Amino acid sequence: MAGLSFDNYRRNKSLEASGVLPPKTTSTGTTIVGCKFNGGVILSADTRATAGMVVADKNCLKLHRLAPNIWCAGAGTASDNDKVTELESSQLEIHSQWTGRAPRVVTALTHLKQHLFKYQGHVGAYLIIAGVDVTGSHLFSLHAHGSTDVGPYLALGSGSMAALSVLESKWKEDLTKEEAMELCSEAIMAGVFNDLASGSNVDLCVIEKGKPSRLHRGYKQPNQRLQKQRNYNFDIGTTSYFEAGSEVFYISKQSDLETSAMEVDQVS
Amino acid sequence: MQHTQEKWGRPRDDVYGPYDASYLNSEPRTQTLQPTVTGTSVIGMKFNNGVVIAADNLASYGSLRRFIDQERLIKVGSETVVGVGGDVSDLQTIEEIMEGLEISESYDEPAQSLTAPNIHSYLQRIMYKRRSKLDPLWNALVIGGFKNDEPYLAFIDLLGTTYTAPAVASGFGSYLAIPILRKLVDREGDQQNVSKEQAVDAIKEAMKVLFYRDGRALDKYSLAILSKKDGKPDVEILKDVRVENQNWSMAKQIKGFGTQDE
Amino acid sequence: MSRFNPYGDSSGGSSLAIAGADFAILAGDTRHSTGFSIDSRDQSQIADLGDGLFLTSNGFSADAKQLVDDLRTQIKWYHHNNNDHKLSISAAARTTMMLLYGKRFFPYYVNPIMIGMADDGTGAVYSFDPLGSYDREPSRAAGHASELLMPFLDNQVTFANQLDPQTGEPRKRLDLDLQTAVDLVKDAFTGAAERQVQVGDTLEIVILTKDGVDRQYYDLRRD
Repeated sequence: MAGLSFDNYRRNKSLEASGVLPPKTTSTGTTIVGCKFNGGVILSADTRATAGMVVADKNCLKLHRLAPNIWCAGAGTASDNDKVTELESSQLEIHSQWTGRAPRVVTALTHLKQHLFKYQGHVGAYLIIAGVDVTGSHLFSLHAHGSTDVGPYLALGSGSMAALSVLESKWKEDLTKEEAMELCSEAIMAGVFNDLASGSNVDLCVIEKGKPSRLHRGYKQPNQRLQKQRNYNFDIGTTSYFEAGSEVFYISKQSDLETSAMEVDQVS
Repeated sequence: MQHTQEKWGRPRDDVYGPYDASYLNSEPRTQTLQPTVTGTSVIGMKFNNGVVIAADNLASYGSLRRFIDQERLIKVGSETVVGVGGDVSDLQTIEEIMEGLEISESYDEPAQSLTAPNIHSYLQRIMYKRRSKLDPLWNALVIGGFKNDEPYLAFIDLLGTTYTAPAVASGFGSYLAIPILRKLVDREGDQQNVSKEQAVDAIKEAMKVLFYRDGRALDKYSLAILSKKDGKPDVEILKDVRVENQNWSMAKQIKGFGTQDE
Repeated sequence: MSRFNPYGDSSGGSSLAIAGADFAILAGDTRHSTGFSIDSRDQSQIADLGDGLFLTSNGFSADAKQLVDDLRTQIKWYHHNNNDHKLSISAAARTTMMLLYGKRFFPYYVNPIMIGMADDGTGAVYSFDPLGSYDREPSRAAGHASELLMPFLDNQVTFANQLDPQTGEPRKRLDLDLQTAVDLVKDAFTGAAERQVQVGDTLEIVILTKDGVDRQYYDLRRD
């Protein structure tokens, strides 16, 4: 049966002890927040992905669609977030086709927490899950070890405390959609400007009862690249080489080309 | 005494035992290896003609809420306040050092007044000296006062690291309070557009958020407001200030941890 | 029980220097950070040592401060002992080496860069390692973004591994004009601020010519 296999744990420990380090992962050292409002819920995230102190991606998307009415924001290990949300969105789709109903937020939450608990925190996904369903609008947070939390406003990631400083001083009950959007983006901006692992732009997703979910990619873009002073094109002939030559290849059949492409390249 | 060529001069092994080399592998003598009774964040920000500093009155013993009336703001000289976080016994050492500094400076005639940059420099040298002796004073210090009538605000940690900024904070404050304070004073010079009332409000708001979210914080704190009136320093230290206007209305909405309705 | 670690990760971001035929440039960002927090957005890391000498020392910032204080003391005593004679940059560099090597077994955790005008009127850049090994160089970068900045300088200042397309000979290191050098510095830092999280806020540039000192400031990313 899948899961709960720690066969390689001791091997990895001994490899580590002998100096073989595990590979560096891309971390979405992140600021993510969620906030409820009258009639729905909002998710928001920054767009910086880091590897150590180096920016790996300046505009990555940390908001994932689990179902048309359920979205989630991820902090922690980038690959774990991508995979675990991809897996969950498939499961929810199958589940909703089987039951003939739109999926519920608690279904996603329960399924994800069971999956993460099984991996005892080794799957480093830290999620804020938000959505609307037949029972109303919901906002949850989920830690990599499997614990969950409920609240009208939540923040996760390395910039969560900067975001919370905004949420704790400005949140009030019965927010309108516009107020909640402003609050969430301001909370993310606090993370962007005060936490080094968070940065670049603000993405924001509005999930409303009875309306299609709306992803605002690049909702705020406060960090535009400054114009370069000079042009850095090289003149032809700058790079030295030992000899030059060329060979011409002919493609005999069109099918040679098609079979050489990987299957995944043709999807989407 | 042994007389074989390779061992001469050494006490005889059969009489005194073999040479004990264990001290060569021991570690240097150190004093504070870890803080014991501690204070949490100190926060401070500049405004158009002064500085506000706040620190709560809790001295924790690990996770124990040990002393709830610990004063952590020290007035030094006539126009400077030093806020101290970290180990409380080291705080008292700093208090004594500051007292000594005040006394020795008062001998001069006319008495020279100690300014914030003087005290900042003096404390930085002490902190760096102690870290270099591997015997640190386990504190984070916030120094507020004036330099040539302009507001002056600086930070020092247990390694002697130091910097100045229009908003500074130690400990949890650097994560939770700084984003609030930087909304008013992000870069040097922004304080020109901030009034005393705005600064005090921002500091109070930050102390509230710290009480919400820092498990070692207290809702009772001291607040120092330093301002200049006609070139004269005015230092006001408010004690037993309470965190006000807390909002716990979200609490009733929270039921269970996911699937619970009631 | 863990031992007290006298070194920390508090630091000013990065710095960079370029020497020209009749100028020298020293630039650094003004962000001071510890871990993932920004301590200050306005902490200048370029120290004016007097006698037309400027110094940055990237690394552990408490040690950097101590090194600057030591150097100022040395220069003051040099003036007292030598009738206020101006300290040349070659002598100042050697003094810096002595101070660094003097703490061989408890080193200052810094990578200093010093600029000044040499005795022959050319711009001079001296760079050091933490123990005092030093050299005069055409350009140097130090700090968190040094891995990003230094290859750029090798490519644009010294034209390393490039041919002149006209002659087919290796490109000679041209003596940069001042404006080109300043533009290179700006592009180097806006690029570094894009990819290195500890670089940002404000770029401070000190330009040294025979006419004196010019300080310029430019905005960088603040996230």
